[in-house]
Amino acid sequence: MSRKVPEEDYKKTLSYRFSRWLSGEKDPYLGEVEMKKLLPFSEPRELTLSHSKQQQEVREQVYDIKENKEVKGFSIAYRIVSVLVLLFLLAMLLYSVSYLPPYGEAANPVNNEVSERYIEKGLQETGAVNIVTGMILDYRAFDTLGESHVLFIATCTVLILLRREKRRDHEEELSDRTHEPKNDVILQTAARVLVPLIMIFGIYIILFGHLGPGGGFSGGAVIGAGLILYLNAFGFEKTEKFFHAKTYKWMSFGALACYSAAKSYSFYTGANHIESVIPLGTPGAILSSGLILLLNICVGVVVSGTMYAFYCMFRKGDF
Amino acid sequence: MNVVEWIQFLAGCAFLFLGLFLFLVEMIGVFRFHYVLNRMHAAAIGDTLGIGSCFLGLIILSGFNFTSLKLALVIAFLWIASPTSSHLIARLEVTTKEDDAEEFEDLTLSKEGESENDHI
Repeated sequence: MSRKVPEEDYKKTLSYRFSRWLSGEKDPYLGEVEMKKLLPFSEPRELTLSHSKQQQEVREQVYDIKENKEVKGFSIAYRIVSVLVLLFLLAMLLYSVSYLPPYGEAANPVNNEVSERYIEKGLQETGAVNIVTGMILDYRAFDTLGESHVLFIATCTVLILLRREKRRDHEEELSDRTHEPKNDVILQTAARVLVPLIMIFGIYIILFGHLGPGGGFSGGAVIGAGLILYLNAFGFEKTEKFFHAKTYKWMSFGALACYSAAKSYSFYTGANHIESVIPLGTPGAILSSGLILLLNICVGVVVSGTMYAFYCMFRKGDF
Repeated sequence: MNVVEWIQFLAGCAFLFLGLFLFLVEMIGVFRFHYVLNRMHAAAIGDTLGIGSCFLGLIILSGFNFTSLKLALVIAFLWIASPTSSHLIARLEVTTKEDDAEEFEDLTLSKEGESENDHI
């Protein structure tokens, strides 16, 4: 049996306050903690109107919709065609999804002789204890080579987009970089402790890629993060002593060329049925599993350099 | 299963659940607060005490071996890294906040008298 409660009584109850707190109508700490709530962004209505008017004018000038019939027709046709293409794509994907086999069945085409061979003969043929590394750097090394090149090409593209000419001092003052913490003692002390540990951990991940979880991509990312931390703590003057554009260029070139040469050798011997002279070694040792260790190091060098170069390009436009 | 193992199991579970509770507190705080420094305060709870008690529970559960040493190293790493990043966020907030600088009167990094001139 329910009974009616007057509104004033209800407002005093715990459940009402809890529901208000939950829905965010009232910040319970507002006015009691010393900090104020951040006000949402707002601008006067006239400013909004003038902005939209300006945008409209620019758009009319650029596209000249009133005069140019071709542009008008194109914009209409573009919308219609894009909707049609998307509908076609949707229908095609839904149609093909209906033919997918049920998930987790033993007779699925995923469980074919390829994965069987990876699991059964992977250790014997590649010498890597970690089957995943054996797969990506031995059976499918061509694919990984492409990925490394993709990273390098991405950096080249970012270089083209973000590279700036010699900046002027006035410009630098206006940019956001003036607000960034500089010569922060706490950050520098933490970085002095953490950067060597991060570097050692990244090298460990790269070198143990064929023995356990890890490999070139993850280890390279860890080393790149360590470099970025060092840069943030000590500034560009310190990092430019050992890492600038030329270093990055030769590092990436050397690693990619080394990777390509090593894989070309194994493709050549494999395709011509020549016995490879590189020993596989005993599984579990560091110097084992043929070329995988070398390839991991190459990938790690490329990835770490690329991470650092991306950060430099976005921050300064140069490095 | 003797008494020592039971105590180990129960203590590990207790620390693990304490850590999960602190993570819950952190999540609620991060989504409920509106201001960046309040949010940072809430997030720091989980980053230091929450992860510390979670990993302490795991160390107790796994016993004294190489895995627990790695977990202890992770705790040490996070306890150095998380307060440093919080400090950077707070410092950036204090430096870039323009509209109501009087809230940070005691915290402003500029010299005395300078902030009043900036305000005009």
